[in-house]
Amino acid sequence: MYLPPPGAKPTRRGFLKKGLLGGALMAIGGSAFLATRKSVEVELPGDGLKELSPREYAVVVALAWRMLPKREGYPSVDAVEVGKNADRIVALLDPTAVKETKQLLLLLENALPNFLFGRRASTFTKMSTDEQEAVLAEWRTSSITLRRTGFTALRSLVAAAYFQSPLTWPAVGYPGPLPGIHDPNAPVWKGGGVERPIGNGTFREEALVAPVDGGTP
Amino acid sequence: MSEGRIVTQEELTSDRTIECDVCVIGSGSGGSWTALELVRQGKSVVLLEEGGYHTRREFDQTEPRAFQNLYQELGNRATDDLALTILQGRSVGGGTTVNWCSSFRTPDRILKVWKERHGIETLSKEVLTPHWDFVEKRLRIAEWPQAMMNANNKVLWDGLGALGYERGLIRRNVNNCLNLGSCGMGCPVDAKQSMLVTVIPDAVEKGLSVYANTSARVLDWDGRKISAVRAEVVDGETRKPTGVKLTFKPKVTVVSGGAINSPGLLMRSQLLSEGRVGEKTWFHPVTLMLALFDHEVDGFRGAPQSVYSHHFIDRGPGKMGYFFEVPPVHPMLASTVITGDGAQTMELMSKLRHANVMIALHVDGLMPDEEGGTVRLRDGAHSRYSIKYELTETHWEAFRSSSKEMAKLQFAAGAKEVRSLHLSPVTMKSPAEIDKLDAAPWAPVQVRLATAHQMGGCRMGKDPSTSVVDPHLRYHTLDNLFVVDGSVFPTSLGVNPQETIFGIARWAAGHIGQSVS
Repeated sequence: MYLPPPGAKPTRRGFLKKGLLGGALMAIGGSAFLATRKSVEVELPGDGLKELSPREYAVVVALAWRMLPKREGYPSVDAVEVGKNADRIVALLDPTAVKETKQLLLLLENALPNFLFGRRASTFTKMSTDEQEAVLAEWRTSSITLRRTGFTALRSLVAAAYFQSPLTWPAVGYPGPLPGIHDPNAPVWKGGGVERPIGNGTFREEALVAPVDGGTP
Repeated sequence: MSEGRIVTQEELTSDRTIECDVCVIGSGSGGSWTALELVRQGKSVVLLEEGGYHTRREFDQTEPRAFQNLYQELGNRATDDLALTILQGRSVGGGTTVNWCSSFRTPDRILKVWKERHGIETLSKEVLTPHWDFVEKRLRIAEWPQAMMNANNKVLWDGLGALGYERGLIRRNVNNCLNLGSCGMGCPVDAKQSMLVTVIPDAVEKGLSVYANTSARVLDWDGRKISAVRAEVVDGETRKPTGVKLTFKPKVTVVSGGAINSPGLLMRSQLLSEGRVGEKTWFHPVTLMLALFDHEVDGFRGAPQSVYSHHFIDRGPGKMGYFFEVPPVHPMLASTVITGDGAQTMELMSKLRHANVMIALHVDGLMPDEEGGTVRLRDGAHSRYSIKYELTETHWEAFRSSSKEMAKLQFAAGAKEVRSLHLSPVTMKSPAEIDKLDAAPWAPVQVRLATAHQMGGCRMGKDPSTSVVDPHLRYHTLDNLFVVDGSVFPTSLGVNPQETIFGIARWAAGHIGQSVS
């Protein structure tokens, strides 16, 4: 919830734009008649989900297949475990961001907005590939900012969950970190009476221990 | 032998109260220098950092680990409508642990604006120069040799040369840099002279106590005095509070959490300055253009930023200026920024090695009546804020202009194709097609915008009715509270901000120390 500063008056335009329309659309995500339509059931990660529900997980996986379509040389969405990676990312977000992400996933899945905007009475996960692509194109090109925002948020989540994996590196030609650079056993200095090891960050020069000559308030 | 200590979550298992001369909140560019200079003055100082103490032992140059440990909101911080993505650091060392090392002194014209429009007579080139001289020696700030320039920067360099635009080599705070390109993921060899490996350990050697994984939640105050800083320990893995409460009782408090978290802490403490706290936040809003070349650019290798151009920094009255640089191009971050449908994403990612990305950073805060960004508390949030940024016709004119100029530069450097980062990208095959950008939708969440520079929100000024802190960075209505970070800037800078913050912090530490009675 946006908390305005003391004395500030929200404008009517701002309320209509962000409050009424945005609130109604987000509310549709988790309620209403057509929301009761079932989602496709998908196999869950062996070690379970940390934050997403099975339904939300199914939407992420379906999204990933559309947003990251099969291409020669690339590992599949399943091979990279995009759904599981996305679940782990969401689990680390601020509680308010978790809530919004879940709302967005259910808004995309919910048959009611899909019916209202595209005359499709099916949930996203049960649509054909062409229908799913059409829905995503509608979100991406929508005149409603909230839908474009939703598209941007979900696309970023899915893309990060896929391209974070080293399995994708050969396909994009990324060689990864240069070997022999990172030292997993490098000393970690915390002071406490222990002498600081000499390294690139240390600097010993008498001229640099002069006191500051700050101004006087 | 060191007298101070760096304490992390594992040792913070029970509630405790700590008395000290000064409590500095935030370990980035401002807090670190302030803490160092205060311990040099013999003060007992604690430095609080919400993020963890992550070092080169963990810096394996991979993006997922870096974004999880070293960035605010895992790199997902943004304005509420996601029109503008905000990259901001969150670990010991703050933004300096993950920034791209670009170091500039504050431009004269900005100091002039601060003096003439905001009554800030305390900060001048003469006052700051000795501090910059000192900082530049300590952090080995030096021009990055042209011979070491990577191909991504060379696109900008060549384009600028071909069009006859002003260009320069960036000075960087590095020592024995291996030109890896991993600055944004934490330097694995401590070559980057971040606060993490320089100023903070220098201060710990002299007695500084650093509390990592410690989030300052509220400042207790009564009358004109801060009496306590109430903090909670945050789990480094889950980012959730552990339940352990720490209370600091300092004589003087310094808030250095940066341009979003500092206003957040003040607002949680009901220090609002009649609503000015969190207002007029400046972001150097960034437009990006992507170009494909026949040759490999490998934007993930080499010093991320070594070339700049201020050719369009002053575009005359009524127009917003901008400056050019390039960002590093690693796969995960690139995949979240590029636009288009699924097929376009995969096609573009397949050409990653041939991709140059150029950025234009827009100088906000200098136009009359400019509102910029507003940071507000968000109900139910722990580390997330409501952030809005007003984009006006002036912004969109500048964004169109800078995008067209970047396309010109990329073609001049030999690009075979240039793409905008609109949700439905504009693709250009030759300079003759650059005008296609005029017909593109220039509106929020139609084109990707970003920022890595957060400024303002606790702006300094002489007039208490229009500012949050005075020209000595003291909160107007409290005697023992100072704000020392980029949030005090009344405008943006037109250059990367870290060195300005270094200089101001080192200057401010002088009189902050004197105020400790």
